[in-house]
Order: sequence, then structure tokens, then C-alpha cells
Amino acid sequence: MDIGQPKRIIEVEPVSLPLPEAIPAPDPQPASVPEPAEPAT
Amino acid sequence: MTRSALERALPVETATEPIVAWRAWALSGRRDGSHLLLRPVVGRGRPWLPGRPAEANCRMLGPFHEAPQLACTCGLHGTHDLDLLRRTRCPAVIGRVALWGRMIEHELGYRARYGYPQRVRLICQFCFWQWGTHGVAPTSVGWFTRGELLPMCDEHAEMAGRYGMRAQVWLPLDEIDQRLRDTYAVDLLPS
Repeated sequence: MDIGQPKRIIEVEPVSLPLPEAIPAPDPQPASVPEPAEPAT
Repeated sequence: MTRSALERALPVETATEPIVAWRAWALSGRRDGSHLLLRPVVGRGRPWLPGRPAEANCRMLGPFHEAPQLACTCGLHGTHDLDLLRRTRCPAVIGRVALWGRMIEHELGYRARYGYPQRVRLICQFCFWQWGTHGVAPTSVGWFTRGELLPMCDEHAEMAGRYGMRAQVWLPLDEIDQRLRDTYAVDLLPS
């Protein structure tokens, strides 16, 4: 993609980074379903 | 004018706020729609990792160099105008991106050292190419070989299939859209 000719150089040093404060936990792995317990006899 | 002379001639400014621009990404993930990652739309660039700044670097001019360089086309790209992204190859996601670090401003956009998405939206690439953001909203997301995810509207999904571009599985758009925003902890780009 052509964005044209360069016009200026900018040195951006942010006071605070534009990042989220917290990232949710990654997608959980499929949990294994426990076998139902044998009914007590 | 040589590149070095041009670099000396360009004004250099400093800023303390990130610059926000438009950007398009490709999208990858697993067959079940998990492990979503935004990726550059061209080349085999590294994915943008959730919660961490994307950092540009480059080997195009021989040995590794810090990006962006004036004599190269490297860096994380962003545009002033959303419409310019319609020329992008295979976009799946458009949005606003915060850019910072060393940056080169061009006539139509920026190249930057660091970036992180701020707002994102899934798009049907075929509608976007033809009508920009006035196209039909996608209704589902196709999962293709090599883990590529492509959102499409019903009409273009049907047309793509007719021409041999068949998804292995179709995933609900709302689910992928929400997962993507949760993954990167970013907001929806309003339509």
C-alpha cells in the first residue's frame, strides 16, 4: 500500500502506553468431563 | 536528493501522546474460533500479541535494522483515511491503532516502531473492497486451511464457495467478534 512521500519524523514517547491494563485469561482448553460416579449401592 | 539528505531535510518533532490511525489486519485462529491473533495483511510478519506492543523490525535491507527507516518501507503502517485500506489485500479486521516510538509521517499515513489496536471490527473483505464501510456486514466467519479466518456476508460466502474458496467450517460472527475484542481487551469500532 502506497502511503506517499515522507513528510516528517516524529519521536513519540508516550507518558503512558496505550495498552489495556489487564488481558483476560486465554481461551480455556476443553475440560475433560469426569465420568459420573457410580451410584452407591 | 539522497535519502540521507532527505532525512536531514525532514523536520523532526517530538510528542508525548500516541498517534491514532486506521489499520487493517488479517486474522488467524483455531478451527473452533479460539486462540485468535491479529496478523499483518502482507508477508509473513509476526502476529500482534494480546496485551503487548507490536514492534516493527526489518531485514529487507540486508542485516537487521530498527524500523522504520526512511530508506525502507518497513514499520507498522497506519493510514490517515479509512478508505485507503480498501486497497489492502485480504483484510479481515479494520480498526484504530495507536502508534508510537520512532515514526515517519507520510502524505497518506504513518510508519511506526510500536503499535497496539484500540478499536476493531470484523469486515467482509469483498464488501469492503467494493463499498468501503457502506458494504453489508459479515454474518459468519470462515475458517480456512492454515488457520486463516475470513468474515463474509451471506452473498459473498456463497459466491466464494462457488469459485472454490470453501471454508472448512463456518463460525458465528458475534462469537468471534466478542472473542477478538476480549482477547485484545479493546472496544468495538462503531459502524
